[in-house]
Amino acid sequence: MEENPTSWFMRVTVTILFLFLLAPVLLVFPISFSGDQILAFPPSSWSLQWYEALLGNTVMMSAFLTSLGLATVVTVLSLIIAIPASYAIVRLKVTGSEFLFNLFTAPLLLPTIVLGLAILIIFASMGLLATFTGLVIGHLVITLPYALRVLSVSLGNLNLACEEAAASLGAKPLAVFGKVTLPMMAPGIVAATALCFLVSFDEVVITLFLTGPRMTTLPVELFHHVESQADPLVASVSVLLILMTLAVVMIVDRTMGLTKAFMK
Amino acid sequence: MMHQTIKRDGVETIGDPYLCLEGMNKKYGLVEVISNLNLAVRKGELIALLGPSGCGKTTTLRMIAGLIAPTAGRITVGGRDVTQIAPHGRDMGLVFQSYALFPHMTVAKNVAFGLEMRGLSRADIANKVAKALGMVQLEHLAERKPRELSGGQQQRVALARALVIEPSILLLDEPLSNLDAKLRDEMRTQIRDIQQQLGITTVFVTHDQVEALSMCDRIVVMKGGLIEQVGTPHEIYERPATPFVASFVGRTNRVKGKRTADGCIRIGSSMIRSARPAVQDDVMVMVRPHRIHIDWNAASTEQQGETANRMAAVLSRITFVGDVIQYHFDVGGSEFIVEESTKKSQVSRDQGDKAVLSWSVEDTLVFGADQ
Repeated sequence: MEENPTSWFMRVTVTILFLFLLAPVLLVFPISFSGDQILAFPPSSWSLQWYEALLGNTVMMSAFLTSLGLATVVTVLSLIIAIPASYAIVRLKVTGSEFLFNLFTAPLLLPTIVLGLAILIIFASMGLLATFTGLVIGHLVITLPYALRVLSVSLGNLNLACEEAAASLGAKPLAVFGKVTLPMMAPGIVAATALCFLVSFDEVVITLFLTGPRMTTLPVELFHHVESQADPLVASVSVLLILMTLAVVMIVDRTMGLTKAFMK
Repeated sequence: MMHQTIKRDGVETIGDPYLCLEGMNKKYGLVEVISNLNLAVRKGELIALLGPSGCGKTTTLRMIAGLIAPTAGRITVGGRDVTQIAPHGRDMGLVFQSYALFPHMTVAKNVAFGLEMRGLSRADIANKVAKALGMVQLEHLAERKPRELSGGQQQRVALARALVIEPSILLLDEPLSNLDAKLRDEMRTQIRDIQQQLGITTVFVTHDQVEALSMCDRIVVMKGGLIEQVGTPHEIYERPATPFVASFVGRTNRVKGKRTADGCIRIGSSMIRSARPAVQDDVMVMVRPHRIHIDWNAASTEQQGETANRMAAVLSRITFVGDVIQYHFDVGGSEFIVEESTKKSQVSRDQGDKAVLSWSVEDTLVFGADQ
């Protein structure tokens, strides 16, 4: 085995960097098992009371279910829109597709808070505030650029000859897409699914403008809770958020490997 | 003897044409990549489109496949006009340089794809797939995924996939270019054997003259979107129609000369003759390096009989290439390369050695200098 002389230095640096990035996240786990009434580290006693409190907190639980449903619906819609859109842009190269691509991905470059404000103004007049439909549309603005980018790159990297071979073998355009193009895009589709789900599930800035007492999401409710109270309930909610994220990442890793899904 | 007239354009009349390209033209914006291409291919023939990159050979193949729409022209197969038909309705088998196997399907599924598209019964498909894989000796790899195969195996799967649908025409787009040299030789033989066994009309795109010469019934040499010459490998090699064909197919010496009043050609101070009379005063003379004989002991360049050209030369450099040895001669200011096969007891020669080069009048190719 060849040993890189600087590898020990690299390892120490990477370890420190990882600790720096992860320390606040890791801190949440012990605090969530706190027996205290206030948010403090280290806790003076241990208990499961904040998990019980979370399960008993109907506002938090309904916000969690809303977030879960919202992320699912937003992800499915993002794919339904972005897959044909990326095909039209990359393969069919319809006139103005360049412009459309830039338009679709522009929200990535705009300050999210400005977007949120703009959406608030529009939705207020349409009665979409604090509705599920309103949240779905708001989140789509943020998730579509990710989905479109990931899927366009994935489609652009495919060997066009495979599709041409399929056509020469007698497959009509729709069959070529369904039997060859789509299955070959699978890594890109998994990556887009994971990204859309996580972005929607974590979204706070735009959602803040669109939620209300009638309907709220878990990250927003968490934010409101911290504003009014400083108890360790937020730690158990955070653990819930982290576990959801980890679950998505692990599903991706199990189905095709993280590197393949996100690097290609 | 072989003194047929050489056809200068691609329009050729052959008996029983099967695949016909008439007045094909392709423009990208103002750039014309194919201009007025006419070609007739016989049933069961293996024809090569040979030329350097950018000569339009791949564009021509893709137009036949229906992957590129021609700007003008007509394509017929067995009398049926297919010009406006989409690729999936053309019934042509395509093999790509990049193999283009479906990565998410097994070898057997790849081969079965075209049959499934034709709605064959499952038993029929299994039967035909097994037969096609047997033809390329890959039955034992039927359940593997393409990424688990070597390049040569992948290309054989691609060939089986294209042939299993029993297409009217087989189109091969540089199918051997991604393979290493040894494998390329094997595949060459295998493709030719299968092609002849099935008697399938085949168009083969290549930039490799050895492939074209060794595998094909006829060769179409292309340059800049135009056909330079159509002919059998023998015709292309022995009677190239243009200087481009002469230098692209096989190696050749090229020397400038002047026509004299008596129909001979003067190169420096020497006079030579050619089988075909020169058509211009300024000419380009070409001679294949291995067709030249070296006489190290000749006393003079006096003509012996009427069949040979003789020129005095001085050895300037020797290059040993293994199976052949290349002698670089200076002939009145021009360089002549002569190739001899190496022998065990090669007499060593030195720079400055004098010799007389001779070659037959038949082997002297003469072109106009501005051609």
